[in-house]
Amino acid sequence: MNQGSGMADDAGASVAAGMDAQGAAVIMQEAGGQARHELTINRPVIFVSWALVYLLGYGVVWLSVRGQRPFHAPEGWALALLALLALLALGVTARVTDRAASGVGGVSQLRRRIYWLSLAVGLLGVYVMQPALRYVGASHGVISVFTASSPLLVAGVVLAAGTAAWLNWCAFGLGVWLIAVAAFSGFAGPAGVWAVDALAVGVPFLVMAGITLARGRS
Amino acid sequence: MREDGLDPVIHAPVRLRLMVTLATLPEGDNLSFTRLQELIGLTPGNLITHLRKLEDAGYVQTNKTGSGVNALTTVALTRDGRTALERYTAVLRQLLDTAELAQPQARIHPAPGTDGAGSHASNNHGGTRRRADQGNG
Repeated sequence: MNQGSGMADDAGASVAAGMDAQGAAVIMQEAGGQARHELTINRPVIFVSWALVYLLGYGVVWLSVRGQRPFHAPEGWALALLALLALLALGVTARVTDRAASGVGGVSQLRRRIYWLSLAVGLLGVYVMQPALRYVGASHGVISVFTASSPLLVAGVVLAAGTAAWLNWCAFGLGVWLIAVAAFSGFAGPAGVWAVDALAVGVPFLVMAGITLARGRS
Repeated sequence: MREDGLDPVIHAPVRLRLMVTLATLPEGDNLSFTRLQELIGLTPGNLITHLRKLEDAGYVQTNKTGSGVNALTTVALTRDGRTALERYTAVLRQLLDTAELAQPQARIHPAPGTDGAGSHASNNHGGTRRRADQGNG
């Protein structure tokens, strides 16, 4: 900064004020990096936890039904394990989201609330429909396909529609993929639907975790 | 405005950190006073002093809701604040670019009484310019 150029004079003036241009750039980088780290939701963790729900939970349910002739229903312990894994993933999601969103208000907070409320209402509707299907005499096979795929359909629609707010094509693609899996996996039959959903959702979630992690590091 | 074109309201370490931190939030979002304090690591008194300067310049907006235990103070960057930070980043980038260009010339024609090395060894303006670009994300 002492070479006698015009810039040197300018920078010298800044130094006199206690912070030169280079120091300011360093502060900007550090503050920006720290804020992004603290205020951004750690999506890879969320993707991995839900990937485990599908790969392990749906996988175990499939193991419990794959040999059934004729098909009757998934074993209670397998469904209980799936519910437990889903609850754990929900807890992880809430914790990770809360850590980043704590103290953040405004439009993002409102969007998040509407998003989670839509998902909760959609899933509630699905679980109310299940006994209704039994009540009208739907077969075990129909109920199995509905139980496995309808939550995916709800999650897919909410995710795809939610991206209108976040303008994220990657999340939109994932939402459309979930809808497609929900729509077509039933063709694998009442037992096979669990295996197809496990792989067709679990693996892409792991891929999304990897992509999100790689993007965050670049 | 300073001689070098950098906005004096922003060009102070704490206020610069405050502006950059608030700029990472999308437009329309705000941050609670306590979370901001956590992120910046300042005492409430110091934070209030710097926020007041930014608020007087129209760069941030504070909003108080509730009272007593339920009192909540939120801070948000205004549109003017966002524009001012963008302008600050552009000027900073220009200063660093100029410094980067000036350095090779200084090595060829060293100022009298110097060996031409000057502060070159301790400065890496190319890297710093990239930092300025990344900071205002």
